[in-house]
Amino acid sequence: MSTIITSGMQNRFLREINAIITIAARDVTITVKSPATLALTLFMPLMMMGMLGGSLAQNMAGGLGFDYKQFMMVGMMVNMLFMTVTMGITSITQDRITDFTQEMMVSPISRYSILLGKIAGASAGAILQLSGTIVVALLMGIHFSIWQLLSFLAISPLLCLAAGAFGVLIVAFVKTPNAANIIVMLIVMPQMFLSGAIIPINHSSGVLFVLSRAMPMTYCLDLARSVFYAGTPDYSNVVLFNPAICVMGIVTLSVFFLVFGTFFFARSETNR
Amino acid sequence: MEPVIQVTELSKTYSHAQKKAVDAVSFCVNEGEFFAFLGPNGAGKTTTISILTTTLAKTSGSVTNAGFDLDRATRQNRGKVVIIFQKPSLDLNLSAEENIRFHACLYGMFPYRPAFSLMSRAYKDRVMELAEIVGLKDSLRQPIKKMSGGMQRKLEIIRSLIHQPDILFLDEPTQGLDAVSRRNLWEYINRTRKELGTTVFLTTHYIDEAENVDTVCIINQGKIEFTGSPEQMKETLLRRELLLDAADRAALEDELKSMSVGYTIGKHIVVPTAGGVSAQKIISGLKTPLSYLNTHEPSLEDAYVELIGQKEGTAAMKRGSMFDFTARSARERLA
Repeated sequence: MSTIITSGMQNRFLREINAIITIAARDVTITVKSPATLALTLFMPLMMMGMLGGSLAQNMAGGLGFDYKQFMMVGMMVNMLFMTVTMGITSITQDRITDFTQEMMVSPISRYSILLGKIAGASAGAILQLSGTIVVALLMGIHFSIWQLLSFLAISPLLCLAAGAFGVLIVAFVKTPNAANIIVMLIVMPQMFLSGAIIPINHSSGVLFVLSRAMPMTYCLDLARSVFYAGTPDYSNVVLFNPAICVMGIVTLSVFFLVFGTFFFARSETNR
Repeated sequence: MEPVIQVTELSKTYSHAQKKAVDAVSFCVNEGEFFAFLGPNGAGKTTTISILTTTLAKTSGSVTNAGFDLDRATRQNRGKVVIIFQKPSLDLNLSAEENIRFHACLYGMFPYRPAFSLMSRAYKDRVMELAEIVGLKDSLRQPIKKMSGGMQRKLEIIRSLIHQPDILFLDEPTQGLDAVSRRNLWEYINRTRKELGTTVFLTTHYIDEAENVDTVCIINQGKIEFTGSPEQMKETLLRRELLLDAADRAALEDELKSMSVGYTIGKHIVVPTAGGVSAQKIISGLKTPLSYLNTHEPSLEDAYVELIGQKEGTAAMKRGSMFDFTARSARERLA
């Protein structure tokens, strides 16, 4: 006699939440189990912050009027979050190759839940991987308080949502992992330079000015710095916009990317 | 019985394809029915099953599953059906049990917990029960990457049977399974059908697996060629035959001619025994000592090969002159 399953979650909202948690937990499990990901957690900050940032700090950061290393650390933390979450979402293209997306697509849950679960999972993995950036920052002698770190972590889910929504937009139109990786690199790398992650953009003008304002990461970075530098003398030197504008920009872009991206993602999965 | 799946004039043309993969297909499946959807490679089986399980959009036509229109109530429809895909759809980064847990929680059967030991007793019992059936009990913690193709298939089966759906779609479920696992699986599916009244929609290349189904539906080149019970299919397409031979074959032939019995000659003398011709009567009327006597009971596979072979015009070539008579008469009856 087979076991009869009579229970099950009847409330639709709870089922959707459970599905989001399940999908997110899968991504976290994969992150934790992957030695390559764990190695990247230390290697990427070492390369980007230690080598690139360190070199810029030693050779070009004189006369800025603020601690460049600290400025660059916040930039790299946001950049790492943005890149890790975006790449986490685009791992859906890998699931397509292994037919695992089918497993999710036939389940009786909203397409939004699938993508929100991916965003939540990629975000949790990205926040875990921030530990590597913090370790490298401490090794480089960069000063920050626990309060500053906690403030940053408090807004990091919002930053991850923006990056995740951006990733959703990519997977809506890109089918293969190779193409997804190239597009992420082509978009995230210029953002790193244009949005002020490493290089201050207070004096950008012309095309670079327009591009910097068009980058979603610009607003994520500025919000992160406004929180990190709140109440410090350097605030006016490193923060460009009112934080409310940044929040509004992030939320607007995220909702647009998420709705638009989810619609086209679901369509691309079934319209072949 | 109420139709639980109703497909009307269903068509699908893939992007950039010239020809329809599925062409105005209509059929219905009754509640609790065991329905086999058979056809050669590229016939349109997987396309149809993908549309029915909402992983592929149709071009035209209408589909109702468990009372829900596929266009208007896609999510409710998904809640009623479960599919074992033709291609494995496991996450190779997770362990066997983690794959099952992911599926069960995605379907809202159990609240997610980060470890097997933290999951509910009902979940654990169900997993162990199913793992025992397919012989995977000791491999549940094993990473999928280290499992053989057959073991991965077993795992997919456990994953799909973890809940009891209204409709179970099986897209070549036993591909890669050993004989014992195949038998255990079918025993379990039949038991589940009887206990819970689950409707089973099967596609398979092992035609013998469809011998005991309620309805066989044959699709070929996107069109339905036959729908009916396996018995009807065999009766329509094939005749039972008496196989005879004697050391003095000429004498045997003379006797058959004198009895006005039609026959063909191959390795043995083949006498069709349907249509009022009694095997008993023929044997009792023969005086020539027989060196060989056998009866041929057609299997579903024979009927299937006959039907598909006719379509491709290769049946006679494949089966030799011995079956010319049978193929010709089947064609005449179909016409």
